[in-house]
Amino acid sequence: MANLHEWIARARGFLRPDDLEHDFDDELATHLAMAEEDKIRQGLTPEEARRQARVELGGLTQLRESAREARGLPWLDNLWLDAKLGLRMLRKSWGLTLVGGLAMTVAIGVGAAVFAFFRMAYFGTLPLPEGERVIAVQTWDDEAGRRHPTALADFERWREGLRSVDDVGAFRTLERNLKIGDSLPVPVAVAEVTASGFEVARVAPLLGRALTREDERPSASPVLVIGHDVWQSRFLGDPGVVGRSVHLGDTVHTVVGVMPEGFAFPVSHRFWIPLETDRLAALRHVRPFDFVFARLAPGFTLEAAAAELATLGLAPPTAPGASHEQLRPRVVPYTYGASDDSETQVRWVIRIILLFATLLLIPPCANIAILVYARIVSRQEELAARYVLGASRFRIVSQIFVEVLVIAAGAAGVALLLVRLATRQLQVLNADAPFWVDFSLSFDTVLFTACLAVIAALIAGVVPALRATGGQMQTGLRAMNSRSGLRLGATWTALVVVQVAFSAAALPSAIEMAWGTLRSGVLGPGFAAEQYLTARLALDRAGLDAGAEENPAARFDALQAELVRQLESEPGVSEVAVAAAVPGAESWATVEVEGIPLAGRGIFAGPNMIRHNRVDETFFDAFDVPVLLGRGFEPRDLESDRRPVIVNRTFAEKLFGDGSLSLVNPLGHRVRYLRKIGEEAAEASPSEADPPIWYEIVGVVADLPANATHGTLYHPMTPESTHPASVVLRSASPPATVADRLRGVATALDPNLRIDEILALDEIYRRHEVGNNMGVTALGLVTLSVLLLSVAGIYALMSFTVNQRRREIGIRSALGASPRHLLAGIFRRSMSQVGAGALVGLLLALLLGYYVPMEIVGGWDIPGIVPTAAVLMVLIGLLATLGPARRGLRVDPNEQLREG
Amino acid sequence: MTETRSSILQGTLDLMVLKTLEQLGKQHGYGIARRIEQVSENALVINQGTIYLCLGRLIRKKWITAEWGTSDNNRKAKFYSLTEAGRQQLAAETANWERVSGVIFRVLQPEGS
Repeated sequence: MANLHEWIARARGFLRPDDLEHDFDDELATHLAMAEEDKIRQGLTPEEARRQARVELGGLTQLRESAREARGLPWLDNLWLDAKLGLRMLRKSWGLTLVGGLAMTVAIGVGAAVFAFFRMAYFGTLPLPEGERVIAVQTWDDEAGRRHPTALADFERWREGLRSVDDVGAFRTLERNLKIGDSLPVPVAVAEVTASGFEVARVAPLLGRALTREDERPSASPVLVIGHDVWQSRFLGDPGVVGRSVHLGDTVHTVVGVMPEGFAFPVSHRFWIPLETDRLAALRHVRPFDFVFARLAPGFTLEAAAAELATLGLAPPTAPGASHEQLRPRVVPYTYGASDDSETQVRWVIRIILLFATLLLIPPCANIAILVYARIVSRQEELAARYVLGASRFRIVSQIFVEVLVIAAGAAGVALLLVRLATRQLQVLNADAPFWVDFSLSFDTVLFTACLAVIAALIAGVVPALRATGGQMQTGLRAMNSRSGLRLGATWTALVVVQVAFSAAALPSAIEMAWGTLRSGVLGPGFAAEQYLTARLALDRAGLDAGAEENPAARFDALQAELVRQLESEPGVSEVAVAAAVPGAESWATVEVEGIPLAGRGIFAGPNMIRHNRVDETFFDAFDVPVLLGRGFEPRDLESDRRPVIVNRTFAEKLFGDGSLSLVNPLGHRVRYLRKIGEEAAEASPSEADPPIWYEIVGVVADLPANATHGTLYHPMTPESTHPASVVLRSASPPATVADRLRGVATALDPNLRIDEILALDEIYRRHEVGNNMGVTALGLVTLSVLLLSVAGIYALMSFTVNQRRREIGIRSALGASPRHLLAGIFRRSMSQVGAGALVGLLLALLLGYYVPMEIVGGWDIPGIVPTAAVLMVLIGLLATLGPARRGLRVDPNEQLREG
Repeated sequence: MTETRSSILQGTLDLMVLKTLEQLGKQHGYGIARRIEQVSENALVINQGTIYLCLGRLIRKKWITAEWGTSDNNRKAKFYSLTEAGRQQLAAETANWERVSGVIFRVLQPEGS
């Protein structure tokens, strides 16, 4: 208890130092006066009495100092003092501040961004009452290691049989055309959900009612619940919205309720219709649930629910002879419902990634440590004097730590700002993110960033401080009288050389990657993209489900053909084309050309990694893309056994030779797919039982967009091969007008024909640029920090050399040595080390370009980039020596001789 | 002799200050210092400034309290007095001191006495 009182008193003393200081001074003054009086009474003279009283009291300054330390929080006082000193040093050593601050900002920013991202993506808490008790139930495939679609029978078994959970429900997401009154239909995402979903969420509607079990009966009238922003934007906040009718696809639904603002359960939904499980069982093309959810019953835990579910198991398979031994039910937190990951796996992955993000601090902080060490060396006399006056090694090291911590704290602040900007941008780009994802900067993220800042300061500050204040403190004492002092050992100079080599090796790749990313924005697509309007065309599920006898793919093709025919006759529309994807947004794949060895595998596939698309006959004409060799697609190609394809110019150049089409003719060569990104390669055949599917090149077209850096392979749009499809219109009319006509024509053909993602093509390219620009900005910051660290390291090395050899320079100058010879003598060794670093970097860059293909690290598309980067590094190194060289030439020989 | 005096004081100044306040009641710092010197018949001549560091320590531990008042010769002075916790601490330390000093005394006795 006495200790607690003491700490409280110390805290008060820290907060009110002046009051207590005056109090103490008054008390000492009273003591001296009393003592003087006593001694005068004893017969001493006033002067002698005063002197003896002071002697008996002791040194006033020491007493005040001791009292100050005893009543305050000295460690906090020291911390504040060190922080003020650190700020002063920041201003004085602005080079170290700038370079160290930038490098730390990048390193800490990467760690903070990774943490913030994973926290948003995986550890959001459901903003629902007792949201942590809402769970998801999955059917898990042990063999495949992923989710298996949950069967209707299993859902009903769990709904009826589980006691540890309440309100078992399920949902699936549909896309429907929403038509309100006479307005044009717009595609919207609708949650087809069991009524129990609203009981699980426990959020009362704002108006009307939520869905009920009655609504799920087949005979019930179609009803709809809408979200708050839908009510405001589409119904203008009409208080009489309950009871109004709207069209969803070709079905009329009655609005029965409005949910409060922010409600988007189960994921990011704003429209809810009942899930009729009875009707689902009868449909041929029924799609599995997105996932099954429930709420833990009172008193039950996730583990208890998992145990009960394991006991209850799955419903017996209905198909004769079928088995689902590899399947089992599992319970996961709700936010993992749509994921194949388990919470345990995710946590481990995140721990490993965060460890790497933390380890990323080491290279830049080790480099900053070099600069800090060099600065300590230049202050060795000051530090040695402090040591002699009583400062402990711990005190000196902690001072240096706090000085670096000031830089790290500033860097952390800037890093958090950048992360906040990035998350805001992410929020704009992900308007349909799940409702539990919180894009704001959390306290956890701030705390993690603060920890990174402390670790950075420990590496960059404490390590060099310990090294400099070890046995070398004695050296520093001697250095007060001599000029030998501390040295920058071989380790530190080797680190500088490694830094230079790394910069020289990384620079060409960084420049290439930046140019490869930015060139599309700089050069433009090479055609009037603003004249093109694109839209995604699809037939929604009701349309596909409804025609039980009809082939839905054929139906879609017929609708698409009629749509194109009608659009072509629209006034103002000059071209209409259909493709699987718009130019520049095609899917990726790796291919093999018959008779030509692969450049690499997987992500190192190099030129064999291409884009692919399915296009109709009018596609190339619509974009004015000339055929350079061979021909375009013809009607006979739709049924040809030779499976004709057309490639672009870049494909031909990269895979068939040296860039001159007249030398290597790709026509007649065959190509096959090895792997399509995002889907299984049906054509890939590891065994002889399934022979590979080859495609014959029948034509070569110009690149589209003109700035394409990858090969593109075009297939003819054969019947029933493409759903959904992208429609492209070329028109001189305003895009909004064309968009309205497009919607009108489509829904007049079939209310279930959905047109969405209507955008001008230049707007699509601009959106791609946003993400590219963020990436290039980040890359630019990293490269800049690496370069600056190199420059700073060279500067520190040269500066230290000049400092240490001032006397030698002075004497040689006095003996008549010319400035050129002086500099050469001093810098020969150091510049040879820098040159060696640049040479090593050059060799590394050449190896990188040879073994790692262009598509990964940029390669050497820009002629002469590698030697240019090496020369640039040497020039930068020379530039870094200018300051120390000038100081060396200004050394006064007379002054140096006098100091001898 | 001087060495002996200083080593005793480091360990027992708190005890002597508490005892002095118990005997004198309210007293200022100068009076406490003079009292200790007088009672020890000047065998203990302490650096008087350390009294004030000791008093500050005892205040923080809530074993004594302080308030400004007026001395006998009409000077403004800070007077200290013992708290209940201080009395208990004094009793405990006194008992401890007597026990330790008794043990040391027995050890130092010649053999057979």
